[in-house]
Amino acid sequence: MSALLSIKNLYKSFGRNEVLKGIDLEVAEGEVVALIGASGSGKSTLLRCVNRLEIPTSGEVEFRGEPITAANANAVRREIGMVFQRFNLFPHITAIENISLAPIKVLGTSANEAKAQATALLEQVKLGAKADAYPGELSGGQQQRVAIARALGLKPKVMLFDEPTSALDPELVGEVLEVMRDLAKSGMTMIVATHEMGFAREVANRVIFLDSGRILEEGPPEQVLGSPKQERTREFLARVLNK
Amino acid sequence: MLAGLALAWAGLASVAVAQGSLPQIKQRGELIFATDPTYPPFEYMEKAQMIGFDVDIGNEIAKDLGLKAKWIGLEWAGVLGSLESGKCDLAMAGITITAERKGKGYVFSRPYLLSGQEIVRRKGDTRINGPKDLVNKIVAVQQETTGQFAVAKLGVPKDHMLRFDQVQDGLMDVRNKRSDATVGDLPTLKAILQKGFPELELVGEPFVKETLGIVAWKNNPELVGLVNRSLNQMMVDGRYAVAYKKWFGEPLTAKIVGELENRKSDGSPVPDVPIAAMKELPQPKVTGSSFSFRWEVAGAAIPQLIKGAELTLALTLLSLLIGTPTGLIFALMRISPVKPLNWIATVYVEIVRGTPLLMQIYVIYFVLPAVGVELSSFVAGVLALSLNAAAYISEIFRAGIESIDSGQMEAARSLGMDYRVAMVNVILPQTVRRVLPPLTNEAVALLKDSSLVSVVALAELMRMGKEIATNGGSPTTVYLTVAVFYLAMTLPLTWLVRRLEAKWQPISRPRDGARRLKRVAA
Ligand SMILES: Nc1ncnc2c1ncn2[C@@H]1O[C@H](COP(=O)(O)OP(=O)(O)O)[C@@H](O)[C@H]1O
Ligand SMILES: [Mg+2]
Repeated sequence: MSALLSIKNLYKSFGRNEVLKGIDLEVAEGEVVALIGASGSGKSTLLRCVNRLEIPTSGEVEFRGEPITAANANAVRREIGMVFQRFNLFPHITAIENISLAPIKVLGTSANEAKAQATALLEQVKLGAKADAYPGELSGGQQQRVAIARALGLKPKVMLFDEPTSALDPELVGEVLEVMRDLAKSGMTMIVATHEMGFAREVANRVIFLDSGRILEEGPPEQVLGSPKQERTREFLARVLNK
Repeated sequence: MLAGLALAWAGLASVAVAQGSLPQIKQRGELIFATDPTYPPFEYMEKAQMIGFDVDIGNEIAKDLGLKAKWIGLEWAGVLGSLESGKCDLAMAGITITAERKGKGYVFSRPYLLSGQEIVRRKGDTRINGPKDLVNKIVAVQQETTGQFAVAKLGVPKDHMLRFDQVQDGLMDVRNKRSDATVGDLPTLKAILQKGFPELELVGEPFVKETLGIVAWKNNPELVGLVNRSLNQMMVDGRYAVAYKKWFGEPLTAKIVGELENRKSDGSPVPDVPIAAMKELPQPKVTGSSFSFRWEVAGAAIPQLIKGAELTLALTLLSLLIGTPTGLIFALMRISPVKPLNWIATVYVEIVRGTPLLMQIYVIYFVLPAVGVELSSFVAGVLALSLNAAAYISEIFRAGIESIDSGQMEAARSLGMDYRVAMVNVILPQTVRRVLPPLTNEAVALLKDSSLVSVVALAELMRMGKEIATNGGSPTTVYLTVAVFYLAMTLPLTWLVRRLEAKWQPISRPRDGARRLKRVAA
């Protein structure tokens, strides 16, 4: 089976700070990959290189066997949804408009059709009643669910999640994870940077431990989270789980 | 609020009551002259010194009265008004003696010079040979001078008359071919034409004969009596002849002296005061406030002020209408990754912000025609204000765009929007809400700055006010009324924006914003 996404020998530096140091990673269709690692280890940078929000210093990211370049980035981004730690909803328009904006402006979907699709997506994230609310009127958990629906609006093949629950109050984390769990069950290909080890264990097919810009360890969740081979992984897990 | 303003004004007025009564002048030891030092050979600046025929004569008068002369330079429009407000004792600025001015409360000395209204045309422009030829031409005049009155009397319609603050501006306008001719005082025109403007020439003899006098306010005829004594003295003892030769380059002839004597009655009738009387004057009494709001003056001014306000509004709105999109374009250029666009916008903004608006208006009005770009006063005014506003507005937009969280652009790009689509649909709508308050400030500033275009002969609100104030009648009343007009235009604008801001508030402040940021930082 050929990979949907393959990352090949990826390097990324910010000035003299080398953040990613040769990442190789293949993600198959339908796979859920959990990306774990200490703060500053490069998780966000890796995800942002995947949809070219950051331009790799060297190496390549291929989507369906095609390298992502400046020329095709806009087209490829329609197929790669992204959910941010800080939601980044558009504050000046309503929840439903947040979802339908890109289909209308990017795909040329008619306003009526986009609205119908957006309504369905809001139902899917259990926010059917909040269609006309502005982001400022929603709780953090609700905002993040709208952001997920927004990313799904373009019917992407892959979803990237960058610590989607880190900015939430603890009592709001559950509702967002539940939506993500449903999404995984429906067969969506996902890469999720997260500190939620329970979620990783339960939902992910594979866990990747990132340490100072390198993949130090990867494998099924039981193995990486249950009996890690590397000392650094053990240290990291001890820190996270004891919190 | 207005009452407070009026009160403050009244307070100022009571402090400023110099009111030139003789005892006060004597106590002060200074005789204060108001003038407009852009008027060679009467008075002008050279090497930071005010010099000229008037200055020499005025200094001699002060000396005769045992006082020191002090000269204050104003715009012409403010010279006569400063007498009434007590800012000076005498006005001396090549001022023509007219019945109209006498009727408004100004007291004139005996004539101290013969003058007349003279036409200037471009060299060899044979269409203009005399006053009759001006009727269907565009004529530049100096605002509120007897030149303007003489041209009006010839039957030149008001919209064919371009009114400037300075004689030189009118001459430049003729040279630039926007005006066909200009009319002004013969001695001054002669002096200016000798120094510059080789492409212009005088047309024949003066078509109106006039005499010039020294002016005081109506409460002080005694001072004018003293001035007359001094002038008479100078004519006899030769000091006058010396000054005449020095500034007009020709010897004083018996004919000129005779004509001046013949027209002695042009001056106001004033009591004869012996100079010795100065010494026996009583100590000054403390005077109360002279301020009073004169409703009849305000009422008479209103129709003209409305006209001025209309022009001010038109200038401001048009300039905003042009300046805002232009400013937005410059802002987008400034944040553009395309370097040359960036440079062009930066240079533009820095040049406009680093030079006075007044200079920009002058450049557009007077310099562009020299390179073949013809603009009417109104178009030049709107262009200057628009281009100026565009620079400031571009900075407002740039700051607004940069204040939008970078996550907004990233989210939009991650949804496959290209830069333009993301800008138009995500960034700019948020920017507009955020820049509304500073944009309002700019609009208010623009409305006030629009008064500067009066230098290119546009009779906007401030110019109208000045005109009415110069024309006689309490300047205090006129300017207070003008202030009310400005407030009537700016306050609704500020109020409207406050309403809009309140309406948008809930959207621009996420409810859990503060909490969210804390968590992210932790
Ligand atoms: N835009 C940027 N400019 C400079 N340095 C950056 C930038 N983004 C991330 N970094 C640096 O890259 C490193 C990895 O950051 P990040 O990918 O955000 O890690 P993580 O998501 O795992 O916490 C950090 O040292 C961070 O300071
Ligand atoms: Mg991160």
